[in-house]
Amino acid sequence: MVEIGDRIPLIDAVEKVTGTLKFGSDFKLPGMLYGKVLRSPLPHARILSIDVSRARKLFGIRAVVTGWDYDLPLYSVAGEKNVDERLLAKEKVRYIGDEVAAVAGVDEDTVKEALKRIVVEYEEIPAVFDPEEAMREGAPLVHENVKQNIARIMRIRHGDVTKAFLESDAVVEGTFKTPLVHQAYLEPHSAVAQWDLQARLTLWIPTQSPTLARMTYANALGITQDKIRIIQLPMGGAFGGKLEYKLHPICALLARETNLPVKMTNTREEEFTATLPRVPMVTKMKAGCKKDGTLLVKQTEIIADNGAYMNYGPGILLSATTRHDNLYRLKNIYSDSYLVYTNKVPTGCFRGFGCPQSFFALESIVDMLANEIGMDPAEFRLKNASKTGDITVHNWHLGSCGLSEAISKSTEKSKWYNKRRELKLKRSVDIAYGIGLACCLHVSGNRTFLPFFDGSSAYVRIDEAGQVIVLTGETDLGQGSRTTFALIVAHELGIPTEWVSVPLVDTDFSPHGLGTFGDRVTTLGGNAVRRAALDAKRQLLDVASRDLGVDSSKLIIENGIIFSKKDKNISMEFKEAARIASHRRAGAMILGYGHFVPQNVSMVDPETKTGNISCAYPFVAQVAEVKVNLKSGDVKVLSLTAAHDLGKTINTLMAEGQVHGAIAQGIGFALSEEMVVKKGRITNPNFKRYRMPKAKDIPRIRTIFVESNDPNGPYGAKGLAEPALTAVAPAIANAIYHAAGIWLTSLPMTPEKVKDEISKMKS
Amino acid sequence: MKKNVAVKMKINGTWVEAFITQKQTLLDFLREDLNLTGTKKGCGTGDCGSCIVFLNGRPRTICTMIAVNANGCEITTIEGLAKGTELHPVQEAFMQAGAIQCGYCTPGMVLEAVYLLEHNPAPTENEIKEAISGHICRCTGYVKIIEAIKLAHDKLLKK
Repeated sequence: MVEIGDRIPLIDAVEKVTGTLKFGSDFKLPGMLYGKVLRSPLPHARILSIDVSRARKLFGIRAVVTGWDYDLPLYSVAGEKNVDERLLAKEKVRYIGDEVAAVAGVDEDTVKEALKRIVVEYEEIPAVFDPEEAMREGAPLVHENVKQNIARIMRIRHGDVTKAFLESDAVVEGTFKTPLVHQAYLEPHSAVAQWDLQARLTLWIPTQSPTLARMTYANALGITQDKIRIIQLPMGGAFGGKLEYKLHPICALLARETNLPVKMTNTREEEFTATLPRVPMVTKMKAGCKKDGTLLVKQTEIIADNGAYMNYGPGILLSATTRHDNLYRLKNIYSDSYLVYTNKVPTGCFRGFGCPQSFFALESIVDMLANEIGMDPAEFRLKNASKTGDITVHNWHLGSCGLSEAISKSTEKSKWYNKRRELKLKRSVDIAYGIGLACCLHVSGNRTFLPFFDGSSAYVRIDEAGQVIVLTGETDLGQGSRTTFALIVAHELGIPTEWVSVPLVDTDFSPHGLGTFGDRVTTLGGNAVRRAALDAKRQLLDVASRDLGVDSSKLIIENGIIFSKKDKNISMEFKEAARIASHRRAGAMILGYGHFVPQNVSMVDPETKTGNISCAYPFVAQVAEVKVNLKSGDVKVLSLTAAHDLGKTINTLMAEGQVHGAIAQGIGFALSEEMVVKKGRITNPNFKRYRMPKAKDIPRIRTIFVESNDPNGPYGAKGLAEPALTAVAPAIANAIYHAAGIWLTSLPMTPEKVKDEISKMKS
Repeated sequence: MKKNVAVKMKINGTWVEAFITQKQTLLDFLREDLNLTGTKKGCGTGDCGSCIVFLNGRPRTICTMIAVNANGCEITTIEGLAKGTELHPVQEAFMQAGAIQCGYCTPGMVLEAVYLLEHNPAPTENEIKEAISGHICRCTGYVKIIEAIKLAHDKLLKK
């Protein structure tokens, strides 16, 4: 029997391990053409003319399209009212990489040659790269209609901040910077597009959300959603970077123009230059506490770099501004946040959705406060930690909160209290050791941008051969959600996991679902799938009941056999019941249906930004142990003890994998990853110079699951994958302070920065 | 571009003859011309290990290698590793250990691990890390990949 919490390998593992799985970039159609984009070489310029005649004449070229050929509508991502971009630039280019033209031809080499033959005449205009400069009066405007380049302002006020600062015994402050970092999923973006005779578009794309993609691409192309079918293909990683992306509808433009299928795939350089990396933020934070460690007040200003166009910046900034306020029982809050346009690559979602940026500030500030009043940082956090049943300052209802337990378990397993004392003794002239803690939280599905829709739905279909198919609108990015769903269905139906398959999303057949982001899939999708499985089971048992002469409430299924609770000899095979069910109804299959709409969850208030945005909140405490070379500035992470309140573990094998992978990305964010931008140009757009952790950079990881059993999660389960990254950088920063007595407030914490801080401290 | 260069390579045990272009990469030839898409393209600069195949028995990245230069060579791709439906013990170990998430780095990692275990049947953890140091996995944090390689070693011992 399959139990919740088992260790189940991915249901598509055989295809993956044999190389037979067709990823998006592997997919081909007969007779298809290849497409490529011509990108702006300038950060900010007016387009004076575009001459494509020489490109069109090239042998093998079938189409060249520009923003001047069509009346392309302005659009933005799903739910965003500020529409500010077209598929291809018209009047202006706004960053190096901006899409100017696209070409389709018989092969990639020919298409690349054609790109070289397109002549674009530009008039370069002053550009602005730094968000703080962009906000100043008189700075160049990225979008003429947006004053001071400020795309969005958020002001949050709770309690009496002035009074609380006066009452504080200790006040600390700092300015924290997080850089432009890339999701660096291993498979570059890819798309295949084809139109049929009814002017209906089919897109074969690897995407986190087929339905959001359909919504956005319909707007971008100026057609209705029913004219688009999206067929989800397996993807080589996503991490937030594979939501809506321009390449897909540009591919559709070329396919429409040529009346043939067209395939487009990014190069790695294009990935770095023109996709949607994490929103860089500068966070000024000041906080105060009482001598006994009671956290009283926090004042924050965040300036976030939106890049040249609007993506999910507003949601990400809202998340960065508000979510961290719910970690502790904090009541006095004053926050101003600004989302600012610059002439740089547009920024978007990356695992954590604003939290890796803001928790780096908060969790550093918390250690600074604890240090200021001479209190152990773990004790400080335990004193202030939110708890089950709390209603937080932002009106979050914490149905479950394992934060204190996560702190206790991670500190216990890492021998925190001993090491806080003893590591200092290990210090030599050049080498210092330290241990640091950081906490964070997240959502399990986030009610952010679509007022009309929340939740998830699913169908569980049992056909005449006893094959069980789960139809869901949620997507598998490699994290294993299809396996999670198969496990849930197998568990509920009492059958082996191998009998269950979970096809990828096809918008013509799958239920409408928002897809995978915001740690929503296991909790919302899992609930829906479980309900659909129970509905299918009820229908199947009704059939068996008639043949077995036993009331269906007295029947159970185990290992693929339906039998009477009272007498095991009264039984029928699952597959036999499925056959009878279908044959008795002229081939109609059993179709179980389930949906889950979280109750008591709402969009945030437009003014105060308060609102219970999720039905369940996961919590994290991570302890990092580091070795700092005081001479070279080199930081080595020796171990990470990660305690995660995920509510309930559904597939232990893959849950561990989520923690490991997130920690690796967190270490990259903390120590080495940065897209270096000089005058708007990314100077390290490749894997040689964008430094991600390799096997040797990963320390020993201890994974601890805290099961707080959330009342709203399926079997109690909450989100996991995103917050597992968030806590890593501040845990390492706090460990560096413990080791060397320096605060690193700018990521990545490179040897140069460490050395700088050490020499500053000495002088 | 004109496909006017004749080449012959032994790929997964079978001699293949084809016309290719002068500048086509070996990766492109396998993926586009032969539809052997198990070998992946991650970076295009030889820095991620996704495109590793065995070239004359040794693992090497082929995303920057000109296909013409592989004329006459023997190549094994991930598609050539399993014997029909019987998986290689390394493949089994990767599945069992949960060493696969998105699966995009998996073919390269598996081949690298096969080579390692053929030449060093009992690698230490550091030797495993060294062996996969040319590979990037963005999903797993490498932890379960290292576990899988240790597990594969146990499986091979039992064989």
